[in-house]
Amino acid sequence: MRLELKHIHKHFGAVHANDDISIAVESGTIHGLLGENGAGKSTLMKILSGFIHRDAGEILLDGRAVAFKNPAEAIRAGVGMLHQDPLDFPPLTVLDNFLFGREDGFMQNRAGALADLQRFSRQFGFDLDPDALVSSLTVGERQQLEIMRLLSLGAKILIFDEPTTGISLPQKIKLFETLRLLAKQGMTIIFVTHKLQDAEDLCGKVTVLRLGKMTGQVTHPFTADQLVRLMFGQSLETRARASVALGEPILELRDICVADYRLRVPEINLQVRAGQVIGLAGIEGSGQRLLLRACAGLDQPVAGDIWISGARMNRQPYRDFLERGVAYLPAGRLEEGLVPGLNLTEHFILARRSREFFIDWRAAQDAAQSRIGEYSIRGVPASRVEALSGGNQQRALLALLQPNLNLILLEHPTRGLDIESTMWVWSQLLARRQRGAAIVFASADLDEIFEYSDRILVFSGGRVARALNAQETSVQQLGELIGGKGL
Amino acid sequence: MSEITQKPVFSKKTGFSADLLWTMGPIILALLLTTLALVAIGADPLKAYTTLWNGAFGSPEKLGSVIDAWVPLVFCSVGLLVTFTAGLWNIGIEGQIVMGAIGAAWVARTFDLPAEILIALMFIGGALGGAAWALLAGALKVYGRVHEIFGGLGLNFVAMGVTLYLIIGPWKRAGIASTSGTEPFRPAAWLLNFPGLTVGPVEIILAIISLALIYFALRGTLWGLQLKAIGKNARSAFWLGIPTSRHMLGAFAVCGVFAGLAGAEQASGVWARLIPAISGGYGYLAILVVLLSGFRAPLVPFVAFFFAAVSKGSISLPLDLQVDSALGGVLQGVVVLLFVLSQGVRAKWTQTLSS
Amino acid sequence: MSKRVLLVVTIFVIAGIIAACAPAPTATPVAKPITFGVVLVGPYNDHGWSEAHYTAAQYVKSKLPGSDFIYIDKLNPADRPGMTLEQVVNDMKSKGVRLILTTSDDFQTDTIAIAPKFPDITFINASGDSAWKDGKNYKDIKNLGNFMGKMEYMKMVAGCAAALSTQTGKMGFLGPLINDETRRLADAAYLGAKYCWTTYAKKNAADLKFDVKWIGFWFNIPGVTLDPTKVANDFFNAGNDVVISGIDTTEALVVTGQRQAKGEKVWAVSYDYKEGCNEAPNACLGVPYFNWGPAYLKTVKEFQAGTWKPSWDWNGPDWANLDNPDTGAVGFTFGKGLTDANKTTVQQFIKGLGDGSINLWKGPITLQDGTVYVKEGAVATDKEIWYLPQLLQGMTGQSAPTK
Repeated sequence: MRLELKHIHKHFGAVHANDDISIAVESGTIHGLLGENGAGKSTLMKILSGFIHRDAGEILLDGRAVAFKNPAEAIRAGVGMLHQDPLDFPPLTVLDNFLFGREDGFMQNRAGALADLQRFSRQFGFDLDPDALVSSLTVGERQQLEIMRLLSLGAKILIFDEPTTGISLPQKIKLFETLRLLAKQGMTIIFVTHKLQDAEDLCGKVTVLRLGKMTGQVTHPFTADQLVRLMFGQSLETRARASVALGEPILELRDICVADYRLRVPEINLQVRAGQVIGLAGIEGSGQRLLLRACAGLDQPVAGDIWISGARMNRQPYRDFLERGVAYLPAGRLEEGLVPGLNLTEHFILARRSREFFIDWRAAQDAAQSRIGEYSIRGVPASRVEALSGGNQQRALLALLQPNLNLILLEHPTRGLDIESTMWVWSQLLARRQRGAAIVFASADLDEIFEYSDRILVFSGGRVARALNAQETSVQQLGELIGGKGL
Repeated sequence: MSEITQKPVFSKKTGFSADLLWTMGPIILALLLTTLALVAIGADPLKAYTTLWNGAFGSPEKLGSVIDAWVPLVFCSVGLLVTFTAGLWNIGIEGQIVMGAIGAAWVARTFDLPAEILIALMFIGGALGGAAWALLAGALKVYGRVHEIFGGLGLNFVAMGVTLYLIIGPWKRAGIASTSGTEPFRPAAWLLNFPGLTVGPVEIILAIISLALIYFALRGTLWGLQLKAIGKNARSAFWLGIPTSRHMLGAFAVCGVFAGLAGAEQASGVWARLIPAISGGYGYLAILVVLLSGFRAPLVPFVAFFFAAVSKGSISLPLDLQVDSALGGVLQGVVVLLFVLSQGVRAKWTQTLSS
Repeated sequence: MSKRVLLVVTIFVIAGIIAACAPAPTATPVAKPITFGVVLVGPYNDHGWSEAHYTAAQYVKSKLPGSDFIYIDKLNPADRPGMTLEQVVNDMKSKGVRLILTTSDDFQTDTIAIAPKFPDITFINASGDSAWKDGKNYKDIKNLGNFMGKMEYMKMVAGCAAALSTQTGKMGFLGPLINDETRRLADAAYLGAKYCWTTYAKKNAADLKFDVKWIGFWFNIPGVTLDPTKVANDFFNAGNDVVISGIDTTEALVVTGQRQAKGEKVWAVSYDYKEGCNEAPNACLGVPYFNWGPAYLKTVKEFQAGTWKPSWDWNGPDWANLDNPDTGAVGFTFGKGLTDANKTTVQQFIKGLGDGSINLWKGPITLQDGTVYVKEGAVATDKEIWYLPQLLQGMTGQSAPTK
């Protein structure tokens, strides 16, 4: 089935998530969709698979214009999507999951479904026990199940969203084999990824998105170099910066391993000295957040030692980290930093480390008023934080930090902020640095990483590259590292 | 996770009349539904409501019995204000009342003291019993990762089991094995009532003091503000450096204290002994009171009064009309349900209007 | 205070004012000569203890023109949490009621406590003994009396019917809670069973198994008492083929009916209510019942005439006509489960009880622990019967609360 996307537009509030995207994919081909986080890949694919609606543009299947109200309609038209986190039901069996979405009427035709499942399994050489619980399968096996389910529902166009995340190498080889087989059978495959190597290995044609726009389309053969330029742009220049005398080591990580249920990043070693700024680069979800939270005392590392100002901090409670002048600014401002429903005055009272029992509301309000002025927050003491704009929420978070900090850990410190707020946030941070704080921040914005970091730590595919000196690193190098090349 | 959202229901933009509509609407609708139910079972609705009204306010004694129900409702609501503020659904409050009653009963059975001292000790015993039981629910939540609703429900059953064990076991009446209750306490352990009424000054004053105390503690102290932060977003509260686990345990304990006071009051003032269903269901009813009050302490006494009046007024229904007194419970439940529903509808409605 | 708070306060204040202005509905003149109040512990239609009382109140209404009654049923903390007897009395008082019958052992403690607070109201506690001058629990209260029927005789009849019907020689007694009354009645049932087993069936007393299980209260309260349905089933599963019910409600008979329908040869003796066999007629050997009507009528008439004095009345059956609704306090309805031959034998037994030729309260009566309670040749006094301290030798089950 031939697929054409023509001039697709999608806005989320002020963000132009898809800005005039046009792609054509012939049946029997594998088309790559490449881009950083926030480039607009997921939005585009969700539009195609019926999860969200486009603002403008056309979708043509074999030349016929279609508009899907929901994913079920898309499936009926032959468009199926495999999500990064498979949308299956782990407590149920393989066969039960396979049955979802089939239109057998009220009574399920289990025998027919079982036959289908076995037929597909033979065809692709999959080995799934129909009675096994999905929760016992690996991510790769769940993908196999999902592919068979979509095919059984009549999908002709298959979208794979970051399918190589979280699967082992043999499974990846098997997956690629399957994809090629599918293409050979005439399926139309869209392969969404940020991994350069995957795109190179698999895709005949690659479309690159950046900040909602299409930056280019390349056809095989192409080089990683080309892709990096399209993905990250080329406009970066290293700027001169004020030199800061480096002080004592503040943070030391020795063979740290951080992990969650789907990711494990071993052997992180790092030393951060007072006045130093470390940027954590990489596709989001590659372990940066895990590391920041471990350094803040919010999560325990799986292995290794964390030293802060000469003290070993493993298994110490979060409050001890606070006592040592460590502060962490999370990306989820309203989810894990501010308290929606409480106003600015209340936040300032809570952040104050005083032990007074009764609250002097008048004094607190005055203090809040002056803090609001000091941090130029657009709001009043009685403003609830959820009513503030993103930039002002970030200012409020910064205003909540203690005056003397040794280590500031930040996750996407300027995400979603306008230029003015971005500049202001960094001026605050750099002022703190002048006063002797060390800063570690994660960002998906390479400009920001280059602009402010002394050293850069690149996270990719469960690994961390040796810290790079920002002055001596090129965009090209960084892009390839982020894309998983040369690690 | 349980999350109690307090949406600003009464916006500044809309006028007084709109507010009135959104408050009275559910109540009127509830009356309408209850009327329909009455008609359906062939009872005269007007007569039923008159009976209900007279059953609650028909005489000083009846008003007294309404206040009799109001007292434990206020105690429990006060406690629940604290746990709700901290974002906790303390369903286990029933068991905490029971444990309070057991604590008080133990004091009454153990010490032979002058009435003033004995009753004071009984209230302290009740408070400790309730707090201990609440802490258990809290520990299950904080350390055992058992959601407080399930932990609380389980502990309610255990508390019931403990009372039964005591009543037919160690605290049984001589020669009798009946689950109906223990021997009455000695008269020194009975709360004094107003002449001719079933309610006295001590418990009323204690309830009012409790309410005032918690009202000011929740709005005027750092503790109250910290609880509020935990209730609205425990992750952010922790990020801000608030010891969330300790505060949750504390909130449970404080709620248990007030539930225990309610239990002690029931044991000493109402039954003068320990009976299996000593909680009287006031804990569950108080949850509705607090919900209908929109988690605001100043509204609690009024809403509690409404619930107490409906509860006690409905006693007259079977006496006069052969209508089951469960009608009162239906009315209470429907009011709360419709009120919560109307909040949701209103939020959606205003959203649609503004967009 | 926020606007919302103000608003709600306003509403309640207005409601309060309306309440205050409404005409006081109390003290409406009593149109009828007398309205008495009846307080029931279970549902008025429980086909058992409470319904027997409800029927008696109806009986008074029909026999005494101008009389009427109001009642409240299910007054127990499980069904009506937080509702006390005192509140009910207040409520009845405000409706002009001056005679209140509290019809359960469960109300005895509260009635004793409340009566002095309401000197203008006359209380009768059915099954109580606080007005018995010679009793152990005598309280000198001017406005509190007791009455009770001599159910032990009908329990003897029940035991007899059971003993004649059993094929296995094993029967179960489904008891409520343990107190003087319930021990007395269980013992009486055993005495009747033993007599008929040995005298008419000509079997060895030692081969009669009579097992007593107590559920903890007068009727089932889920989570509080044992489940009588389960206990009855357990009896049958353990090889008993007759269950004698001693509780207020009819679970034992219902279970028996179900099992009989499945082809088992099992029977039950119901309790309390004249029509107590109706739920499973074929499984029912009979029902020893209370006929409270005459005692009610006597009390109401005395009260009306101003001649009522506190007394403790232990009213016997009308041996001449056991089923006369206007005379005896207790009676026995035969059930369809009893064979005609056995029915004849039971009638013979009843005749013997009535004319005094059979007296099962004659010694020797030996308690469960082996102590001789009534010596050979002696006859138990009312006091000895009322306060029987244990089950009897030959019965299995708990005599007293566990230590």
